Amino acid sequence: MTQQQALGTQDLMTSVESVAERVFDAVERLRRHVLERWESVIIRHEPLRGKDSAGLRDGALEMLAEQRDLVVGMGLIVTPGLLPDEQRRLEWWQYVPGHREPAALRVDLNPDSMGFYEYDSADWFAVPRSSGQRHIVGPYVDAHGTDRYLLTFTMPVLDGSEFLGVVGADVPVSRFETRLLRAWGRLDSEVLIVNSDRRVVVSNSARVLAGDLLSGVDSGTVDIPGLPWRLRVAPRN
Amino acid sequence: MPTTIGAGRNAVFAPLDDGAGRSAAVVRRLGSAIALGLLADGEQLPAEAELATSLGVATVTLREALSDLRRRGLVETRRGRGGGSFVRVSEAALNSLSRSRLQELATTDLRELGEFHAAVAGTAARLAAERASAAEIARLSATLDRLAVAVEPADQRRIEGRYYIEIAAAAQSVRLTLQEISLQSELAELQLHPRGDADSGPATLAGHREVIDAIERRDGTLARRLTEAHIAARTIALIEVHVALTASGDERQAHQRHNGGAG
Repeated sequence: MTQQQALGTQDLMTSVESVAERVFDAVERLRRHVLERWESVIIRHEPLRGKDSAGLRDGALEMLAEQRDLVVGMGLIVTPGLLPDEQRRLEWWQYVPGHREPAALRVDLNPDSMGFYEYDSADWFAVPRSSGQRHIVGPYVDAHGTDRYLLTFTMPVLDGSEFLGVVGADVPVSRFETRLLRAWGRLDSEVLIVNSDRRVVVSNSARVLAGDLLSGVDSGTVDIPGLPWRLRVAPRN
Repeated sequence: MPTTIGAGRNAVFAPLDDGAGRSAAVVRRLGSAIALGLLADGEQLPAEAELATSLGVATVTLREALSDLRRRGLVETRRGRGGGSFVRVSEAALNSLSRSRLQELATTDLRELGEFHAAVAGTAARLAAERASAAEIARLSATLDRLAVAVEPADQRRIEGRYYIEIAAAAQSVRLTLQEISLQSELAELQLHPRGDADSGPATLAGHREVIDAIERRDGTLARRLTEAHIAARTIALIEVHVALTASGDERQAHQRHNGGAG
């Protein structure tokens, strides 16, 4: 190791955790905001309606504005069948090029359309629903949705044990990468973060890029506590 | 407040860039959206002024297009309270639209479209073989399972469209995905009924399954070659229909078509 190798494995992990936890903090605030808005309806044991989720806009926009250097979109996705008046519902806002204010994301929710946004089976929805835990999906192309290359951070919204939906935040892969490459500075080592599909999330090497799948055995990777990712630090070739 | 919607539907209402025959271009755009389910049966179209603005055409041009679509039975207009223009799905009308589009394009237009699609879908298949996760490959297989049981031509069209778009997404490329969505909309203007052609469905399905197998075996070269060959065969079939239609068409039909008639 030379002088340039300023960061050890623990420092690298901490840098990843701090960026990810910042995103999760915003998602957690949105989760509490949703439950507060819904509390009166839930206490009365009345069914939630589409209009109950429509009132979330201002709170979500506030959290989105605070994170706008990293997060491009935030919102709530209601579990299908929960609302008696709408089978599926999204309340999602995102920054779009050319506009200062976030725009509501509208997706095609018609199952008989080529453009159907089939979120029930999407991992960012299905994993928190089945595990009851927070999750990070990606890198992935959000086809039929935001059409961006994303990391999506989600948390389940639960009333006791009843699953109501997920809240989440979209972070472009490019912004996440830039943030970490700056935090790491110049390193002698090749550093990779990979997800559970063995897909590269962040890399500081030009030969292995975000989105690539690693082949071979998982030698030399270590779990990043609290995140569904592993870290690999290897000498540069 | 601006809104964004999925790329497929978004493209339906984006400004048209065709210089000439703008009314016919509106008819084609909306026809292809209906064929792909991007506009659903019974769905109300935006108000005329709003629709004309988003498509970038004059209101009079839009009215002309809506009147053509009404004649074809793809749009129904109701007057009064709760009135407006509503989408009607008619396979026969979509077929006749496709036939006239196929007739007016030249063989070289069809060849270029096929070659461009092969370039996009072939590259996507090669990259997907390198980058698709196990979950993405499982999802592709599930899409083909749905294609296998789809009976209606409209269902087959939209599921096959999703198959190509999913491959581009599995390639981890936003650009290829958006390009594929746009190509599927353009191709939907040309899709004809598999008229009694009982073999083409299973052959198509088997061809796509071979591509997924190649992706699963991480054989990008094969996945690309199979995809290109499949699209080339499709293109030849389309050009054959075009030649047959042109050879049997007469001047009167061609004239009617240019005037936006139902010919």
